[in-house]
Amino acid sequence: MNVIFLIARDSIRALLHQRLLIGLMLFSLAITIFFSIVMSRTRENITSQYADSGVETNSAFSKMSEEDRRKMNEAMEQGVSAIQGFFYAATSFGGSLVALWIFSTAITSEIRRGTIRLTLSKPVSRFQYLLGKYLGGVAVMAGYAVISSLAVFLFSTSSHVELSPAMKYAPWLMFCRQLMLGSVAMLLSLFMHPIIGCVIAFAAGNGLCSPNNPFYFLLPSYAPFNVFGQILQGSIMRGSDVWLLTLYALDFVVLMLLFSWWRFRNKEVC
Amino acid sequence: MAAIYTENLNKAYASFFSKQSETNALKGLNLEVKEGETFGFLGPNGAGKTTTILLLLNLIRPDSGAARLFDLPVTDSNVHRRLGYLPESVNLHDYYTGQGLLEFYAALLDVPIQIREARIAGLLQLLRLEDAATKSVSKYSKGMLQRLGFAQALLHDPDLLILDEPTASLDPVGRKEFREILVDLKKRGKTIFISSHILSEVESVCDRVAILQKGELKRVGTLQELSAGKSTRLVLKNAPGVVLEALSQTAAEVTMLRGQTTVKCVDTATREAIDRLLQQHGIQPERSEVETQSLENIFFSSIESPPRL
Repeated sequence: MNVIFLIARDSIRALLHQRLLIGLMLFSLAITIFFSIVMSRTRENITSQYADSGVETNSAFSKMSEEDRRKMNEAMEQGVSAIQGFFYAATSFGGSLVALWIFSTAITSEIRRGTIRLTLSKPVSRFQYLLGKYLGGVAVMAGYAVISSLAVFLFSTSSHVELSPAMKYAPWLMFCRQLMLGSVAMLLSLFMHPIIGCVIAFAAGNGLCSPNNPFYFLLPSYAPFNVFGQILQGSIMRGSDVWLLTLYALDFVVLMLLFSWWRFRNKEVC
Repeated sequence: MAAIYTENLNKAYASFFSKQSETNALKGLNLEVKEGETFGFLGPNGAGKTTTILLLLNLIRPDSGAARLFDLPVTDSNVHRRLGYLPESVNLHDYYTGQGLLEFYAALLDVPIQIREARIAGLLQLLRLEDAATKSVSKYSKGMLQRLGFAQALLHDPDLLILDEPTASLDPVGRKEFREILVDLKKRGKTIFISSHILSEVESVCDRVAILQKGELKRVGTLQELSAGKSTRLVLKNAPGVVLEALSQTAAEVTMLRGQTTVKCVDTATREAIDRLLQQHGIQPERSEVETQSLENIFFSSIESPPRL
């Protein structure tokens, strides 16, 4: 266990020293913050739009007719939902890129640089190495998910925007989806060039494969983890469904890790 | 118990497109390195030295045959507790400081925490890296990387050291210091397996050497065994003319100087013929010397010469 922890810690350290990855993460965070700002501005714009049309101040909100108030709320909700939807899509895409980068290069970059030779010449089994590398990636992704969720929460609180109910569990499902995506990317990177692996891992579970395509049954469907529709419609998901999806993701990741281990234990690492 | 044992080890690197163009890196390698021995592994580029080491470390898999370290299969990662490895090109995690990297490896090697700090400090001092201990590995020179690589190999005081071209990036001072460390380790009964191009280095520290070419083991033995050439020199005093005439009829090289005749036999057959001849004439050579060869001569006589360009 200690060895796995050490490899994971080393993996985190390695990831945090990758300038390109940090750049990608900062870019994704910038998108998050950008959409959060847009979200609060949208609310302000809608409010001021109604204020210009006769309602001068917030205190005058109560003097608005019932019809105007309803229209204003609807417009605000639609605007904010759309922005939240776009925000979710952008964050999810950015997070997926980060996950693909982290997991597809976790082992292959060590093989390419030759640093794996020294690590595996120590009493470290291939299983410990693989699991440590995966867990290191999970920790970095968790950090990224927490930071981007916090950014949304802070901006929505500071600008008094009520988040869509689906936004409450969206970061968790996004995180689960990214871990699944990462596990597939890691597995494929052990068979092929990591970039090709990333493209396949991303495309396979993102609607490019339909039940008519044989890959559909081999690779995961990330569709249930995508709550874009729920965010736009403002609908909610049951807690039990979130749990089931979490279990599915966990099972899936374990399965992918087992396949990865099967491949990695016989892989020549030079 | 053998520290290293390989049996009929075969390894070919297959070409992606054609099976015909695959390279046989190792062809039935049988090797045994005893505990406490310092073993030199020689061969020209592409002989299969690094392949052998990678197989011993379980970083690549043999096509057939078996390899064992301390009687355990190389696939058992526990055997690495007794093993220190220095690769040919030392690629280290450059996001650590020198000391940080050694701490990471020491933790992986489970070096007791009570002695870890002292051990690392001692090795940094031994390898003249104490001033660079807090410097990022990315700023290390090639020679410093080599020394840091050597330090990580010694961290857990291993029973077996596998060194692949260990002095390739070291300056003459560094080489001398490295040799001194090896001699010290040898005195302490450690098994050392060195793959090197620098023959003088191998000659000065190794008990036994193996010469590999194109994946085949050409020669293996102690330096004395290998250096005992087939060529012998017999010195005769006042040999009669009839004997001298008979000697000149043989394949031996005969030289005369101030009544002393030197007969050089370049192979065993000539030596046997000369012995018979001298016996027939009842002559006893004054002395007989077996010509020894340097490791360089042994090396070049063992390997096939590359075709001339």
